Amino acid sequence: MKKKLRLFVALAAMLALLVPAGAALAADPIVIGCPLSTAFLYGWDAERAVKLAVEEINAAGGVKVGGEMRPFKVEVIDTRDLEPGVPVSEALMGVEKLILEKHANFLIGGPVRSEAALAAMALLSKHKMISILTTGALTPKYHATVAKNPEKFKYLFRISGEVVWMLKGEMIPALVAVGKEYKLKSMYIMVQDVAWARALGDLIGKIMTKQGWQVMGHNVYPTGTTDYSMGLVEAKKKGAQVLVLAMDMPESAVLLKQWYDMKVPALPFGTVLAAAEQPGFWKATEGKGEYTLASVVNAGNAPSNATPWTMKFVNAYQKKYGVEPEGYGTSSSYMAVYVLKDAIERAGTLNSDKVAKAIEQTDMMGVYGRIRFDPKSHQIIPSIDPKEGAVGTIFQWQKGKRVVVFPPKIATGKILLPPWMKAGK
Amino acid sequence: MDILIYGFINSATLALMALGFTLVYGVSRLPNFAHGALYVLAGYICWLLLNRLGLPYILAIALALAFVAVVGGAMYQLILVRIRGMSISEIIASYAIGLAILEGLRWGGLKGGTFTLSAFLEGSVDLLGVSVDFQRILVVVLGALLVGLLYFFVNHTRLGLALKGMAQDERAALTLGIDSDRMAVASMALGSLSAAVAALILLPLGSIVVEAGYHVLIMAVAVCIVGGLGSWTGAILASFVIGFAQILTTVYLGAHFQVVVAILAIILTLILRPSGLFGKQKELEERV
Repeated sequence: MKKKLRLFVALAAMLALLVPAGAALAADPIVIGCPLSTAFLYGWDAERAVKLAVEEINAAGGVKVGGEMRPFKVEVIDTRDLEPGVPVSEALMGVEKLILEKHANFLIGGPVRSEAALAAMALLSKHKMISILTTGALTPKYHATVAKNPEKFKYLFRISGEVVWMLKGEMIPALVAVGKEYKLKSMYIMVQDVAWARALGDLIGKIMTKQGWQVMGHNVYPTGTTDYSMGLVEAKKKGAQVLVLAMDMPESAVLLKQWYDMKVPALPFGTVLAAAEQPGFWKATEGKGEYTLASVVNAGNAPSNATPWTMKFVNAYQKKYGVEPEGYGTSSSYMAVYVLKDAIERAGTLNSDKVAKAIEQTDMMGVYGRIRFDPKSHQIIPSIDPKEGAVGTIFQWQKGKRVVVFPPKIATGKILLPPWMKAGK
Repeated sequence: MDILIYGFINSATLALMALGFTLVYGVSRLPNFAHGALYVLAGYICWLLLNRLGLPYILAIALALAFVAVVGGAMYQLILVRIRGMSISEIIASYAIGLAILEGLRWGGLKGGTFTLSAFLEGSVDLLGVSVDFQRILVVVLGALLVGLLYFFVNHTRLGLALKGMAQDERAALTLGIDSDRMAVASMALGSLSAAVAALILLPLGSIVVEAGYHVLIMAVAVCIVGGLGSWTGAILASFVIGFAQILTTVYLGAHFQVVVAILAIILTLILRPSGLFGKQKELEERV
């Protein structure tokens, strides 16, 4: 009899545990629309990260909206905006389809290309659609536009980095540090012909010239370029010591293979260098990409111990997808879902105005540090200390691994020069 | 010197990309707008055979070449034969097949830059003070070899002469017992094979991406229009004109004008000499 009673109690306890999750799954889902360029790294990594977070949240019972537990549901549309030619209109159609046909309650993700994200702003405001930009769109114009007209754009947030901070807060200090260590003072700039990369190329040239560096050349390449010979030949001829690269197209791997084959004695220092960010880069270049530096925007996109949550996320991603977080849209897309859950629960409703207000007041520790938004521009507050804000990551490929070299608080190694390159005098 | 060396390499690259397109048009008057897709398909099949089945490189290359040649032949036999002679339909149908192949590959998982083939030769050499990797030198050598082989095939083999006959005068060739459709299948297979050869020589320099299909198609069309549709000599000459113009543009104007060169070359050709450098289709009007 006692045995039967124990069995009954155990079954009842199990049922009690299952009921909230079951109830959440039975309730109307909260639809997260993801406008992403899914054929490209910054699209598929974001999609995978959103789905991972949603799966975790739903498994834990869902989102508490008022007194009801509701699950998240993900709807993804391929915006194709990372393709050559930047098809902005296609991206806008995708966004509108998510809102009108897929009945998305919130948007997380893109559009990925700055040009498309900027064009989508008015559309999102018109529909009072809360959007958390998590990948791409590094242009400073995005949050500047929000800051200029906060009432109109109060539903728009960006939880990932933007190019000015990445440059001034991360890349320049890292460049200055490596310049001091190895006595390097000349650079050759090679950027993709898209808004954020052109802006970065111009800015870095100006800032580093003031720092006493010499800019030996500045080339802008159309999306999809597959031959960088002439730029590399010129960089070598002019004695540039650092190649500043800003390219989010997969063809950037070609550049690094050419750099290796031509043994150009300059350190490749990339920001948002799509090909080099991917864990598969080493195999794809057969090790030719060693010594390449790249920024993956936020911590967690390469293994580090920025916060206790960082490696938990890296491991969960690796367990689910069989690969480490792949590109710069990964940890931010994952965190956006948690930020949204937190805001909905605090607001107790799905009402756009109330949830927007709650997101504005977010203050939580996440995968890449403290998550807070600038109240005026709705841009995540960056820092080089994870206790203060969202930290970025610059890593270098060393012996097949992505070794974090900046910021110092989360660095796991130091920058190395390729063997065919000597330190300056 | 760097302009000369890399101009030559770029020209050889363009010639390789365009040869198959020129061959098919020259023989069967079919504008094969799936040319770029077949190029990417060859690279991807080779990658699959190497990485999924673990076959030796040489065998993977041979099988990929054979597969793409068969696909090209089948394209004609199953689809294009039904619209033969209707030039707009031929363009639309072949482009649609190309789109289906490329988007199918994308849908099947060909994304990002991690799909790569190994270079046949590693390392680099200093040529008159300019550093060039061996694979690029190989591009020039194999490009020249391919042109030579195709020349020999067309002028000194039975099938080649039959193809040439078809290109010169289809009706006369028909009266001599040459089967027009069989020749078209052969030319499509051979053109596809050329696209595949180009892919397997050029793709080790970069990565296998869907977008390359569109790029190769634009370049092949530009070379063929400038050279004169169907003219081999014209295509090779046009490859050098566009190839050097691209390198000069990169050096003196900026790399982002490189794509403009090909488009501008098409526009200028159509304005100044619609038949292209060696083309014949509007020869009479142009003379008048």
